[in-house]
Amino acid sequence: MQPERTSQHKSVEILAQKLRRRQIVGSRTAALETLVVLRQVVQRARFSNFEQLVEIIRSVGRRLVEAQPKEHSVGNTVRKVLHHIREEYQTVVGRTGPQAGNSTGFSISKFVLQGQPRKQATAQKTEIKTTFKEDDPDDPDAFSKGLKPVLMEAIQDVLDELETVYDNVSKNARDHIHPDEIILTLGRSKTVESFLKTAAHNRHYTIIVAETGPSYDGREMAKSLSSAGISTFLVPDSSIFSLMSRVNKVILGAHVILANGGMFAITGSLIAATAARAHSTPVVVCAGQFKLTPLWNLYHEYGAVDFGNPKDVLGFDEGDLVNKVDVVNPYYDYVKPELIDAYITNDGDHPPSSIYRLLKETYDDEDNEL
Amino acid sequence: MASKSGKEKLIDEEQEVLQAVVLADSWNRRFRPLTTKKPRCLLPICNAPLLDWTFESLALAGVQEVFVVCRSYSELIIQAINSSKWSKPNSGMKISPILTAKETYSAGDAMRDIYTRGLVTSEDFILVHGDLVSNVRIDEVVRVHKERRRKNKDAIMTVVVKEAGVGHRTRSRGDSPIFVVDSDTSECLHYEPAFAYPKKKLAHIPREVLNEHKQVEVRYDLIDCGIDVCSSEVPSLFQDNFDYLDIRRDFVHGVLTSDLLMKNIHIYVEKDGYAARVQDTKSYESVRFTFLSRWTFPLVPTTTTQAANATSTPPARNTSPNRPPPLGTISRSAQISRHTLIGASTSIGDNSRIVASVIGANCVIGSGVVIEDSYVFEGTTVESGCTVRRSIVGSGVVVREGSEVKEGVFGGDGVVVGPGARLREFERLSVPWTRGEGEGSDEDEDSDVEDMETSQGEVDKSTLGADSNAIVWLDKPPEDDDLESPENFLNRRYMRLGASLNVTTMTMPRTPSPSPPKRTTPDSDYDSHTDASVSGRSDLGASLSSGLMADKEFRSEVRQSLERAFAEDHSVDNAAVELKTLRMASNVPLSRVREGVVSAIVEKIPVVEEAAKQRVGRSRRTIGRWGELINRIGGVDAVETVTLLQRMKENYRKTWIVGAQMIHQLDQQSSSEEESEEDDDGDDDKPAGAVSRSAEASDGDDEDDEDD
Repeated sequence: MQPERTSQHKSVEILAQKLRRRQIVGSRTAALETLVVLRQVVQRARFSNFEQLVEIIRSVGRRLVEAQPKEHSVGNTVRKVLHHIREEYQTVVGRTGPQAGNSTGFSISKFVLQGQPRKQATAQKTEIKTTFKEDDPDDPDAFSKGLKPVLMEAIQDVLDELETVYDNVSKNARDHIHPDEIILTLGRSKTVESFLKTAAHNRHYTIIVAETGPSYDGREMAKSLSSAGISTFLVPDSSIFSLMSRVNKVILGAHVILANGGMFAITGSLIAATAARAHSTPVVVCAGQFKLTPLWNLYHEYGAVDFGNPKDVLGFDEGDLVNKVDVVNPYYDYVKPELIDAYITNDGDHPPSSIYRLLKETYDDEDNEL
Repeated sequence: MASKSGKEKLIDEEQEVLQAVVLADSWNRRFRPLTTKKPRCLLPICNAPLLDWTFESLALAGVQEVFVVCRSYSELIIQAINSSKWSKPNSGMKISPILTAKETYSAGDAMRDIYTRGLVTSEDFILVHGDLVSNVRIDEVVRVHKERRRKNKDAIMTVVVKEAGVGHRTRSRGDSPIFVVDSDTSECLHYEPAFAYPKKKLAHIPREVLNEHKQVEVRYDLIDCGIDVCSSEVPSLFQDNFDYLDIRRDFVHGVLTSDLLMKNIHIYVEKDGYAARVQDTKSYESVRFTFLSRWTFPLVPTTTTQAANATSTPPARNTSPNRPPPLGTISRSAQISRHTLIGASTSIGDNSRIVASVIGANCVIGSGVVIEDSYVFEGTTVESGCTVRRSIVGSGVVVREGSEVKEGVFGGDGVVVGPGARLREFERLSVPWTRGEGEGSDEDEDSDVEDMETSQGEVDKSTLGADSNAIVWLDKPPEDDDLESPENFLNRRYMRLGASLNVTTMTMPRTPSPSPPKRTTPDSDYDSHTDASVSGRSDLGASLSSGLMADKEFRSEVRQSLERAFAEDHSVDNAAVELKTLRMASNVPLSRVREGVVSAIVEKIPVVEEAAKQRVGRSRRTIGRWGELINRIGGVDAVETVTLLQRMKENYRKTWIVGAQMIHQLDQQSSSEEESEEDDDGDDDKPAGAVSRSAEASDGDDEDDEDD
């Protein structure tokens, strides 16, 4: 039984093209779309053993990541799904994880050996103890038929997590923002927006939003926040440094969180973070867990950054200038881990130095390279 | 295959299939000799065939069905389409190549072919050329177009243009039209082509345009993107008007000037997107540049077509933000600077310097090579110590040691030059044509290659180097140069790579060939304008030296014929007929004839020192007798007559008094006509009325002057 040529799936191709043409932007949207496609693929997949299933999902992941390597949440979602599926498979088949046997006492040396501290699957899933038989020659579809409901459940878990990510991130907002603080933010991250709005329910504070050129997303952000009743100031990017001395906290969104604790975030984040460092102002990053990426220092700081259309900076109709000026318009800044104080995720708050542990918990090592 | 319905749901159920027609032939030969072996739309730009870019642009706009009209090298185009990712079932676009007859000599012919085949089934379709690079949301244009059509059935076409400064590099100097647009409705009112040579000093805007529209913009800062959203009537209009050849110069101009069609063409000024045609080697360079500096986002090097088959080994080093696909080997000492794109498995030797160039896949660049602002197609070898500046080097070319390639050189596929070759500026090289190479059917394709071969005897080949197999393309003006087409010899010089050199001071090409260029059968990239004389456009052409000659001749003819008429006292009708014939014969505009007649009549009135009364009587007699002739020659236009008279006054200082009287008398005549025809209408807002008032005013002035 040959595993179906997954790269031929229409939905996969359509998503790949949309990603490539940047018709889908934003990490959460991309992650959601990926999940929907994965669900379809799994639903229709025909496999007679577990390795085939993993290979099918991986090949879809490869195709999508290849289409748009800069949208990391796609790869992350695939990894996460794989991780969940493995977990479900192991509970169902009844095999305990390889590390379960020697989970007696943690030590640093053991931790390295163990690979990942797998969270024990709480609340044992309803025991579907029908004996699964892989590679059954009589009925090759029996395995996939039996496993599919469990797989769907696993994917649904990931989907649920994605859908509630904003709520979960902002659940502890009141603990991070204190009364009468002055907060600086930039760009228009949905996560940060909901975080700030939630905090405003119990706290009275002031927010300064930088315009964030060249996209000027900050303007939208300021509008949205002030309509929620938060006292908001919109300032030009150039005044970030001069205002920093009065700011109590910088709250940023992230595009990608890297394994070393650094992150890619909207252009201007590096300026803000550096200015904050100069004034010893804490920098807090709000992001969902799906932005965790098992990559670090992506081959070249400069090369890994996504470059946008220079027309946002310099109009194409400025004929003479266009001929003589090279415009470089990066979407994201790479912010080093040293400049960040804490990550607030839907899975609790973490310092940059422990992001790697979070990654180990979230994904399987073998999936780091899809 | 468990649940097919779920799969189907994903496909967007569009209300109507969006169709596009790609004209994959250029009908000119600007890229020669690069296009001797393959069509222009398969030339690589930034290491992907042009046609791929066009498809990508269409896919971005959500086009579902594409017809590719191919004529020359159609096998190659079909092969390219079939092997590309677009032919896969999941590409989302259905591409069907359409083979047209070899006799399709122009875009107009192609449109007629589209009509006869009945390809376009949707209400509106997108018409583009096979050399388009764009990220314009064409679907948005289509939406605007459809909305307009709902209100106005005659809005048959929307032309996409892009704003750019006059000196913008993407604007072709060789072909930069003037658009006259209604500011409110963005209706295109007038289109006037403008070439770099012959230089156009005046744009003629029809008077009606200014009369009928409140606010009019005359724009010379637009790039014509070559994207037209057409309604299904457009092909049929081409069918009805068999003399339409070019979509812009003939069709747009024809529709706008026609009194019968009553169709409107609108323009759409694109603000955000980028779109340009690779219509000559100069725009080839500018599109490349625009692409590498990411104006074409999201069509950027990291995401484009060729990335699909790239492996994922991270490249060793590269300072350019436009990260190329995996490299072969690049020497540590090689310098690669900005705006450079290097194809897969290309190796670059020690101490070489690559600046703002595109190097294709599988090239071998030796050590100490300098390549600046150039395009090297795939599989080319540049040996050590060579210098290549601002040139296009075809695929499979070998440039041997120590050669120097200067600005604007085109090397056709498979050429070998060197060692130690010194190529002159704008030299064009190709391999000799070997007959019986399989495609005997393309007989006419190679006629000019053969031409070049026959004239090789006179060419000094010492500069090409000992190992060279190349033939040199002579740069000579064809005998039947058509100045009204952008393909004329001198204009073409503005459209080629490296033409920022001072074109006027350039020496004429060496070795003018004595044998006349064969123009027996037009071939693939042939410009069709040469063999079709398009009437009715002559008045718009810039004044040319030959035109001036004809003009002079005509004027003396008019004078002679009128003198005869005066002397032999012909009837007004006979004189008018004679003049009409004359006008037809020498094909001049009406205004010229009128000018001749008016001046002749003015001269007929003798200027004598006598009492004013007598003088008035004389002139009245003359005008009474001959004044009608002015109206008889065709088209009563009082305003123009008066303008002519006024101009006449400047020319003949002495006769201005007569002129004033003439205005007066003509005025009396014409206003009496006016009243007799429409007696119930006050002539307040009639042009004649306006004339009479102005004439009276000038009359008064003249009398004052006379008294002094």
